[in-house]
Amino acid sequence: MKHYLKQVLIACSLIPILYVGMSSAAEKASALKNDSLRTEPYADAKISGSFVRGERLEIIKKQGAWLQVKAKKGSGWVRLLSVKRGVTASSNQAAGVLAVASGRAGTGQVVSTTGVRGLSEQELKAAKFNEEEVKTLESYTLSAEKGRAFAKAGNLNSVAFKNLKEVKGGAQ
Amino acid sequence: MSANQTSPSKSPTQQFRLISIVVAGMLGFTSSQSVAFDFKGALKDAVEKEISQQSEGSTAPTNAVSTTESAKSNNSTASSEATFNWKNPSTAEEITLGREIAGNLLGAAPLVKDAALQKYVNSVGRWVASQSERPELPWRFGVIESEDLNAFAAPGGYIMLTKGLYRKLQNEAQLAGVLGHEIAHVVKKHQLKVLQKQQLLNIGAGLLSDKYAKDNAMISKAIGSGAEISARSLDKSAEYEADRLGLSYATRAGYEPYGLTDVLQTLGQSNTSDASVALLFKTHPHPDERLSALSESVGGQLDKMTNGKTLEKRFYLLK
Repeated sequence: MKHYLKQVLIACSLIPILYVGMSSAAEKASALKNDSLRTEPYADAKISGSFVRGERLEIIKKQGAWLQVKAKKGSGWVRLLSVKRGVTASSNQAAGVLAVASGRAGTGQVVSTTGVRGLSEQELKAAKFNEEEVKTLESYTLSAEKGRAFAKAGNLNSVAFKNLKEVKGGAQ
Repeated sequence: MSANQTSPSKSPTQQFRLISIVVAGMLGFTSSQSVAFDFKGALKDAVEKEISQQSEGSTAPTNAVSTTESAKSNNSTASSEATFNWKNPSTAEEITLGREIAGNLLGAAPLVKDAALQKYVNSVGRWVASQSERPELPWRFGVIESEDLNAFAAPGGYIMLTKGLYRKLQNEAQLAGVLGHEIAHVVKKHQLKVLQKQQLLNIGAGLLSDKYAKDNAMISKAIGSGAEISARSLDKSAEYEADRLGLSYATRAGYEPYGLTDVLQTLGQSNTSDASVALLFKTHPHPDERLSALSESVGGQLDKMTNGKTLEKRFYLLK
């Protein structure tokens, strides 16, 4: 009897775990740009659909730098950088637009006026130069050789990759 | 050293040259009503032209002597305050300016008292900075006591990130991406250029209005009160550029290229009304916009970069 009860308990406790597992399999997402969906996670795979910027997506699976997603016009694989994970696109894009509109006129002279706690503008303004702390900060400075040794210890090798360039206009 | 000796004597001549450009510009206008407006415009144009010329032409020679200059930077503070060459600051002057800004920021939020953490961040940062166009700067990195999510760069290679932001990171590639973004601000002299422009305008206006301030070269005047300058926004384009370069540096360092975009994904999900991101969101384009811009720039260029490392196993966890 006791043994039976234990099994029921275990079975019951598994239900929420399974449920969580299932719901995260279809993670909500939104499109960061217009892109094509492909039948396989490769750039030269056949196109199986497409989506537009801001469209809601569902992430099915991740493989390397590719995501399998469900869109309005079919499902397929896209590069992970085409997708924003989580939350609805609409509210976040509105926030994005607001952040841009709130006085970033591009002069480099705009000063933040908000911030209730932490490093607010008021606190920064009141700050006094701290020689002691700068000296401590400077004491941690490492040579390029030390940096190389650290990289080597982590099996990091420098690779050839050109600086990314600005792309004007956007959509493919 | 010779560069340092010539700069004080050069500076007044350069100022006069600037003034003569402006005066020449003013003489061209016949309407007296428009003088004030045109003066500002002409001065601004002249200043912008000078700064862009200087920064284009000076990169190589300045860097060539910087190893010796940076070694002396710590004791040159007093002398360069009096004779700061705003038109074409040397690397030593740039570092002196950055030190002042960093010191003020540390006055608002001191370093986290964890030497192992600071050492770890300096190791990652130093390696990423070595992939940049200014590897010879004396790069220094620090995690500061603040639950805000933010990171700061000051001229000359002073870089700080908050404990709150560090706590959000999950692996070394993400740290490398964040530091890469800040390193790019220093490499591209984004903040320095803003200060130069502002200071040259002040000097020019001071000369013309007969109120030539004797202390106009003082660094403290230029950066304002406290660490207020750290709360200022840069141009939007400067932030996008720092994202592109930061991702590039971290990728060259052998890290998984998606460290920075992972962090932007996380930041994009924070509540915009949360005070801990208030300053970050005020001074940067929204993370979604930054992700979109990066995505467009990357295109298919990362398709073959599949051997990058995340190194979450050696990622230093906060105590």
